[in-house]
Amino acid sequence: MFTGRFRTDRAAVFGAVVAGLLVLLAILAPVLTALEGQDIASFHNDLVDSARGGVPIGSLGGISGQHWLGVEPQTGRDLFARVAQGAQISLLVAVCATMVQVFLGVVVGLAAGLGGKWLDTVLTRLADISLAFPVIIFSLALLTIVPDSFPRPLLLALVIGVLGWGGTARISRAQTLSLRTRDFVAAARLSGAGGFRIARREILPGLAAPVITYAALLLPSNVITEAALSFLGVGVRPPTSSWGQMLSTATTWFRSDVMYVLIPAFMVFLTVLSFTLMGEGVRVALDPRTTRLTRKAG
Amino acid sequence: MTWRRPSLLVAGVLLAGTATACGGGGQSTATAFDPNNCQGGTLEILNQDDAGSHLDPARLYTSGGGNIPSLLFRTLTTRTRKAGADGAKVAPDLATDTGQPNADATVWTYHLRDGLKFEDGTPITSADVKYGIERGFAAELPGGAPYLHDWLVNAQNYPGPYKDPNGIPAIETPDAKTIVFHLNSPHGDFPYLATATQFAPVPKALDKGADYEKHPISSGPYKIETYDKGKSVVLVRNTNWSRAVDPNRLACPDRIEGTYGLDQAVINQRLSTGTGKDADAVTTDTDLGPSELAQLDNNPELAKRVAKGGFPYTYYIAFDNTKAPFDNPKVRQAFSYAIDRTSVVNAAGGSSLAYPATTFLPDNKTMGYQPFDYFPAGRNGDPAKAKQLLAEAGFPDGITVTLAHRSADFNQDGPKVATAVQDAYKKAGITVKLQSIETDSYSTTVDNPATQPQMALQGWGADWPSGGPFIVPIFDGRQYLAGGGNFNTAHFNDPKVNAEIDEINKITDPAQAAQRWGQLDAEIMKQSPAVLLFHTTQLRLYGKNVKNAFVSDWTGVYDLSQVSVK
Repeated sequence: MFTGRFRTDRAAVFGAVVAGLLVLLAILAPVLTALEGQDIASFHNDLVDSARGGVPIGSLGGISGQHWLGVEPQTGRDLFARVAQGAQISLLVAVCATMVQVFLGVVVGLAAGLGGKWLDTVLTRLADISLAFPVIIFSLALLTIVPDSFPRPLLLALVIGVLGWGGTARISRAQTLSLRTRDFVAAARLSGAGGFRIARREILPGLAAPVITYAALLLPSNVITEAALSFLGVGVRPPTSSWGQMLSTATTWFRSDVMYVLIPAFMVFLTVLSFTLMGEGVRVALDPRTTRLTRKAG
Repeated sequence: MTWRRPSLLVAGVLLAGTATACGGGGQSTATAFDPNNCQGGTLEILNQDDAGSHLDPARLYTSGGGNIPSLLFRTLTTRTRKAGADGAKVAPDLATDTGQPNADATVWTYHLRDGLKFEDGTPITSADVKYGIERGFAAELPGGAPYLHDWLVNAQNYPGPYKDPNGIPAIETPDAKTIVFHLNSPHGDFPYLATATQFAPVPKALDKGADYEKHPISSGPYKIETYDKGKSVVLVRNTNWSRAVDPNRLACPDRIEGTYGLDQAVINQRLSTGTGKDADAVTTDTDLGPSELAQLDNNPELAKRVAKGGFPYTYYIAFDNTKAPFDNPKVRQAFSYAIDRTSVVNAAGGSSLAYPATTFLPDNKTMGYQPFDYFPAGRNGDPAKAKQLLAEAGFPDGITVTLAHRSADFNQDGPKVATAVQDAYKKAGITVKLQSIETDSYSTTVDNPATQPQMALQGWGADWPSGGPFIVPIFDGRQYLAGGGNFNTAHFNDPKVNAEIDEINKITDPAQAAQRWGQLDAEIMKQSPAVLLFHTTQLRLYGKNVKNAFVSDWTGVYDLSQVSVK
């Protein structure tokens, strides 16, 4: 039923296909780069014009059969290899961060919905605070104080995840509150089931649809957050590449090598668009009561 | 700590006295620069970094501070404010001449001009100059050049005026206008040294120790209106200064506003577009970026507003020659052979802004430059030769080292150059781990032997136009300072080199001395005490309304005391 509804949504299918390709690109990054005959770190001094500050030689940022997306200005490093590695970092961080957000959000939401009034008040306020938090600013502060020896992508996922669970918690709590009054929950309670068993066996399955929907929409926003943090210089460290970091260095190149700006910008755009379309499709397919705004035919 | 590069450097072309037309809008007609009719307007300074890490005359390193200190602090002598080679000479500033030496140049006497006043109207006396120098000895105020410690009689252990108010006996002030220096050995270079900001007068009554930098008392044409460290500075005219008592500085703008913490791309974009106040703007720390470099060929209006300079400056990789693995000459040589100078030059902005270094002295005749290349790495390094040397040294499977760099790129010792070094060394089996150090603490971390990283990107500039101040602080074994402020990061100590330094210091003919410095450079570099990377040139843009931006051979930068925005 779900797949049937999803399949009829052309935008969602497009999103899913593109997202799938991006995941493939990330997983196969080393293979594809080897296929191209390049690697991430090697400098190519002969491919940049030193006297003009290191602009790639040739049109479109030095795109050629050897360098599918051209080369990085100043260093001549292969751009395709770096974009593919950027996809790895971007998706890995976003997926891990989303998992952290969902886990924390569901646990807090369940506890708030099933716990006493006092616990509910405390946890709901905590969720409100977390939602009101300026995530980027707080992440900047956190990321600068953690020593460089801590693996950067993991740290990014943790920071984004730990600061962004508020939305999932609120949705889980609301759904829990509505489910706990239902007859099957009352029946389970009467038959002697404990709080933990009720949460796990009775409530949790009912949370799946709204939480999965919300998670599908959290993912692209986490892609943006990772890019923003890397752009601001607190993301992954060189020589590891990321799209946000590329965009950051590209600020000095937008006039002389426009491809160096367009390529990572397009990758961020494509990732966010495809995952958003897919997430929207998941939402519509899981919740037939709502329809896509654009299809609200009068 | 490394000397901070000043502003703008020029090699050849001078724009002094040239008619500077306003480009673009044509809102004003071209007028020739007239020093007698240049006063007025507000000069804007757009910089990435602060005017100096500390705006205290005791803590500034010679001509550092992005040109601003010279607007606030007059010194016994100063640089001649002239274009080209004339600008490489010393001129009297607070003093009436460049100094009167005794027969063997161990006693130097200066007389102050008449009518000198601080910004509050108090007359400047020789005691104020003496006090300013003594502050530079205080451990609370580190950062100055080491020469005075070494040259003055029995001053090595002077703890500064806060701990020892009796002062330094080697500096005498027989009257309010006379100051006499007693040196422990002949130093014909003393007039050059007297241009350093440590020779600026400081009124003892207004000294607040480490807080003095919040509002240092001006003796120059401008005084501080507001100073927000790291963010902005506003200078207004010092009404107690006039051209009658200062023949060097023109001081054309009525007001100078500095903004710090800007991005390189933003500074160049604003200077190149030049809308509003930006037409009256200059930068003293930012070279052209790739956007502007790519435009120079076909945009004559922009090209006309670029000052090209070559302040003598060398970048290198520093490591402790007494510690493993760098105590082994073969390891040091391997690191020299393996370097890919094309990569590092590109990382430093490309061949318009840097050229490969195989000598410690930059390509500059007055410094004594002599070409040599003892470990020829070619354009892209010689990894095979490096591997062979490493194997001979006992590292057949390669070696892993840590390279420290500044966390930002503005000073060419940041992550870009470090990554280029990392890539070049990989081919030779050398694994480089990068260690990023915060900009503000970079110098103090590297120049303290207790915290010195295994390898570090370092730069060194000339304190004055001679080979001595270029080589001595880095490679004279007696200049090693275990407690910090140590520029001899190689921990280099060769008695033959030390002896030759003493011999050259006795030479009074600059041309003869220059030749000996060049030979000494070669002798030192044969021992590969550091990996030489590149020398820089400077290309800096100034606003459409800025006039008289010329460059001297000493500073290699345009001089804020001479430019006009009227």
